[in-house]
Amino acid sequence: MSLNRLQTHTGTTLDFTFNGKAYQGIAGDTLASALLANGVNVVGRSFKFARPRGIFGHGAEEPNGIIQLGSGAGTVPNLKATQVELYQDLEASSVNGWPSVNYDVMGIIGAFGRLMPPGFYYKTFMYPKKLWMTYERFIRKAAGLGATPVEADPDSYDKLNQHCDVLVVGAGPAGLVAAREAARTGARVIVADEQSEFGGSLLASKQAIDGLQATNWVASLVAELRACNNVQLLPRSTVFGYYDHNFLTILERRTDHLGLTAAQGVRQRMHRVRAAQVVLATGAFERPLVFAHNDIPGVMLASSVSTYVNRYGVAPGNKLVVFTTNDNAYQTALDWHETGRDVVAVIDTRSNPSGDIVAAVKAKGISVIAGHGLIEAQGNQRVKRALIAPINALGTEVTGPVRRLDCDLIACSGGWSPAIHLSSHTGAKPVWDESIVGFRPGESKQQERSAGACRGTFDLIGCLAEGATAGAEAAKMSGYGEGIPQFPCSAVEEFVEQPQQALFLVPHIKSISRAPSQFVDFQLDVSASGIELAVREGFESVEHVKRYTALGFGTDQGKLGNINGMAILANALDQTIAETGTTIFRPSYTPTTFGAIAGRDVTNLFDPERYTAMHRWHVEQGAEFEDVGQWKRPWYFPQNNETMQESVNREGLAVRNTVGILDASTLGKIDIQGPDAAEFITRMYTNSYLKLAPGKCRYGVMLKEDGMIFDDGVCACLGENHYLMFTTTGGAAGVLAWLELWQQTEWPDLQVYFTSVTDHWTTATVTGPNARKVIAKVCSDIELSNEAFSFMDWRDGTVAGVKARIFRISFTGELSYEVNVPAHYGRHVWEALMAAGEEFNITPYGTETMHVLRAEKGFIIVGQDTDGSMTPADMNMDWVVGKNKTFSFVGKRSLYRSDSVRENRKQLVGLKTLQGSDVLPEGAQVVFDAKQKIPMSMQGHVTSSYFSASLGHSIALAVVKGGHSRLGLIVHCPLADGRIIAAEIVSSVFYDPKGERHHV
Amino acid sequence: MSKSIKLESPLHYFHAALNRKPEPVKSPAGALFNDEAEYGLVVKEATLSAHLNLRGDGSNAHFCSEVTEALGLMVPLTPGTYQRNGNTSIYWLGPSEWLLVEIGGDAEELETRLRKTLTGHISIVDISGGQTCINLRGPGVATVLKKSSIYDFEAWDNATSALGRAVQTNFAKASAIISNKSDGSYDLVIRRSFADYVAQWLLDAGEEFGCRIEAEKE
Amino acid sequence: MLLIHCPHCQEYRDEEEFSYGGEAHIVRPLEPEALSDEEWGDYLFFRTNSRGIHHEMWYHLVGCRRYFNATRNTVTYEILETYKTGTQPTITGANL
Repeated sequence: MSLNRLQTHTGTTLDFTFNGKAYQGIAGDTLASALLANGVNVVGRSFKFARPRGIFGHGAEEPNGIIQLGSGAGTVPNLKATQVELYQDLEASSVNGWPSVNYDVMGIIGAFGRLMPPGFYYKTFMYPKKLWMTYERFIRKAAGLGATPVEADPDSYDKLNQHCDVLVVGAGPAGLVAAREAARTGARVIVADEQSEFGGSLLASKQAIDGLQATNWVASLVAELRACNNVQLLPRSTVFGYYDHNFLTILERRTDHLGLTAAQGVRQRMHRVRAAQVVLATGAFERPLVFAHNDIPGVMLASSVSTYVNRYGVAPGNKLVVFTTNDNAYQTALDWHETGRDVVAVIDTRSNPSGDIVAAVKAKGISVIAGHGLIEAQGNQRVKRALIAPINALGTEVTGPVRRLDCDLIACSGGWSPAIHLSSHTGAKPVWDESIVGFRPGESKQQERSAGACRGTFDLIGCLAEGATAGAEAAKMSGYGEGIPQFPCSAVEEFVEQPQQALFLVPHIKSISRAPSQFVDFQLDVSASGIELAVREGFESVEHVKRYTALGFGTDQGKLGNINGMAILANALDQTIAETGTTIFRPSYTPTTFGAIAGRDVTNLFDPERYTAMHRWHVEQGAEFEDVGQWKRPWYFPQNNETMQESVNREGLAVRNTVGILDASTLGKIDIQGPDAAEFITRMYTNSYLKLAPGKCRYGVMLKEDGMIFDDGVCACLGENHYLMFTTTGGAAGVLAWLELWQQTEWPDLQVYFTSVTDHWTTATVTGPNARKVIAKVCSDIELSNEAFSFMDWRDGTVAGVKARIFRISFTGELSYEVNVPAHYGRHVWEALMAAGEEFNITPYGTETMHVLRAEKGFIIVGQDTDGSMTPADMNMDWVVGKNKTFSFVGKRSLYRSDSVRENRKQLVGLKTLQGSDVLPEGAQVVFDAKQKIPMSMQGHVTSSYFSASLGHSIALAVVKGGHSRLGLIVHCPLADGRIIAAEIVSSVFYDPKGERHHV
Repeated sequence: MSKSIKLESPLHYFHAALNRKPEPVKSPAGALFNDEAEYGLVVKEATLSAHLNLRGDGSNAHFCSEVTEALGLMVPLTPGTYQRNGNTSIYWLGPSEWLLVEIGGDAEELETRLRKTLTGHISIVDISGGQTCINLRGPGVATVLKKSSIYDFEAWDNATSALGRAVQTNFAKASAIISNKSDGSYDLVIRRSFADYVAQWLLDAGEEFGCRIEAEKE
Repeated sequence: MLLIHCPHCQEYRDEEEFSYGGEAHIVRPLEPEALSDEEWGDYLFFRTNSRGIHHEMWYHLVGCRRYFNATRNTVTYEILETYKTGTQPTITGANL
């Protein structure tokens, strides 16, 4: 039996290690309760001063017991020991403390505090800036913020999209009865609670409800809820964010409690919940009292001491001093007394405590010292004694002699702070209420209501009544029930309580700045004197003080420290707390793993890979792939250990000299039908389609209304009032939305329908001087002669037995046939074309060769040679703009804006390097004078650049200021490696400038 | 068309890859799913079918009666619903847009039939090559839908053999037209280029129930 | 994450199915050529950028593919109504 384990508490023994040392706990323990059972005092070191710290709380509020769980790929940093369920062979270590928590180098040197006064970060950022990196490395190494695993996470995570009528957050007394009322109406209910068991505060309570012991009452209610098929119960599930329109996120820990590698299946699941109505029953956090050296291990929250005793059978010490401002904490004295261990005294700041529980404590013969404060704790790695002294009624000064009480455990209670975090996420502004000495949730900004302790109602009977009302009301507002609680109000033993005292800083015999540190935020070592210093340095806004002192910045988000901190600030500013206000809580309520946020969208599922019908053929041929949007497109087809350049040279020469084949299926394709189709298309493109006859195609450029090129492609007239529009691969979805936008919102009178057919058609482009011969072998029902089937024509026919549509359009400048067939036949037709082309050495080529071939022809790629600031004129494509079109097509007016016609716009030109073997990097800047001083005057940049095997030298496209009138000018491209490459501005058409080859 | 012409469904290679590696999926408890009855999620691709996109004015009684005349089916005018007669279904996609699917049907024949009857401003587009139908059945289906889509399928009424609910929405990071069937299973119409991704997603999301993906003979 | 009632699908659908379309009720000038650069620039680039009531277009991209309008409070993100393109809002800055 461990040191602090109570005889009455038994169960399965579990072995675990902490900081390398072996211990035993009992099934049902948290890591914190097991450590306390074993008498482990120091669980970590504080961030700044490296002071030893012990377990302080028992839940999400824990500031000190921050641990690293496990090691290797599954390790998790920054978990709270109070929230880690113990399992066999659990392995944990402190995240802070180097080289060990018990002998901390920094703690011994004690130098860190002087190095890092409040505002350290800001002062350091301001001056000297360059030292920040050095400081930061030092801080991180010494302070330790946990270690992220370096291996890939072996676990799986997922997300579940949920919808419910009523989401109940928290399964304490208020939440449970709210769920019962809502469930009764037939509404879809989800109940989430962060603990492994439902019951909340009742799990550690000895109070009787309806004649049942609290835990038994909880068990029967949970069983009742479990039996309802309209209710989903989610234990170990933290609601960590509340977003717009009642969207909430829940992190469910499904297998963490079974060990890091114990289970298959999903380790954590994120529930994304859209709830019609929400009941917040998140409870409250006990507020610590701020006194000198209140951070020594052995100082704990009173409710935490009771929880360890009652729920876990752990008495974390021997001699207890209770320090309180309220009646509530007297229960801890009673609980402790029952363990048989010593209650030294209850120190009460109030002068004349006399409530029911106070009387019960006194009746046990326990010493109650009223009108006193516990002004300082003493001890090194564990509390050894408490200094107490009489204080005045306001709690502002010590009024009498100091006495010493020997003890090893101090249970403190400064009252309760409602857990208003989720309501605060919605933008509701917390409201200070003197009567509860705390912030209540502000006016609802969403469909939510708070019930119970999180609303400032701390008595059990009140919590039950509010919960029932909230549950019934929420159900009604989502369309279920009458809104009136149906279950009788539970019978609960009631106590008469006296009002608590509002005390946020316990006075010391010395002034705040001279007293031993009185900690407000344990995790980040923010003390009362630090807050005062911030005020002296001129900070007034609570948000500024928070950032200056780091109050509430830790992983506990100030769940314990915030209220005391605000109150101390208010006092220093001579304001009320209401005037000072509070900082805004934001998601996440507790830290959330990246795994849960990513869910299944990892590795091969991170982003969809879109495949064409010929994808596997490309794979079988050993193609290298390029991502184009979500598509996987063959980049090049290496043979015999070729380099990419060698492949591209071979593929390009094959197209120029015989025939090549390209998978062009990814191009966007939109079917357009309707009596006004031609008129509509003509309004969208720069040129006219009114006279385009069936069987004909036309190349068009689409502009945004600002006159800048947005997409381009060929549009074919398929028949009367029927067109097929090709878009760029990446522009497909955007162009369809663009067409719909104009038709639906601007010209609904135009009768035209658009349908995406991108996935329906597979396209094989056969291109090169021998293309016609290849097509002729597999297609016998189309007259293929140049006269019968000319450039920019299309024909219906049969290819390899499959009904096909062939377009004579060309992106290579060679004789080309783009063979389109329904995608189910894609591979069949592709293989037939390959077989037909075999005698001509038909060569599959990828996107890289496609780019080289089109650049040789000076054909632009929208998005590569344009960047959203290029007009057709800039691209030397005035010929595509129909100046005589009667309707002012989209973007037309902008072509005459002063900025669109100004001199010196960047214009598309070709660049020919003086050394033909030099290939300019894309993105290289163009300057006119290479000898000028840095920073040079940049006159343009390279947009496309390749080595052209057909031409035997490099080619580049660039946009250069006034480029069209600078042909022949030698320009320079200074590169990052120091070279300066000279090039001549030439026409952007390098190959077959008269366009004779595709007309054959 | 000739018998020597090979037709490939969008999942052709996915099926082929799976058949080469028939590894049974492990359940959370460690048991192996060998028997079909034990699979919590069975995904089955339908035989290649005729898919037509139909546009027209749903508020025009002539249009509606012409469709009924051509197909023997009512055009669903209620958002989010479909009408079915045997192998032929019409899914509501928008106020002027429907998806017509005839399982195993001939798109050309169907289009010709419609074009003969329909008048006025309409659009009929064959998109058969661009998509495929898969059916999801088994006790894990509801949860897999929750994993994959933000749409609230629980809110739907049960389908009958003649009508049910249909919605076009996101499915993982792809999109799908999802509809319910009278047997409690769900049909998904997915796009060809995303089919492999969707199948991989279903295998992964269905792993905890035991997932099997099967093909109809092509 | 917003929940948006699509007036065509006639149900609330999640924001991820939609894409934002910018301010609504901006009518394209009938004769762009008749406008000065400044007038055309106003149409092209200038928006009300309201604090509070704002009428805006949404596109039900992964749904019915229809554009429609929404009246949204840009401070609270509350969507007060959605209505079909071509119809007028019932809630405006003036009558709220």
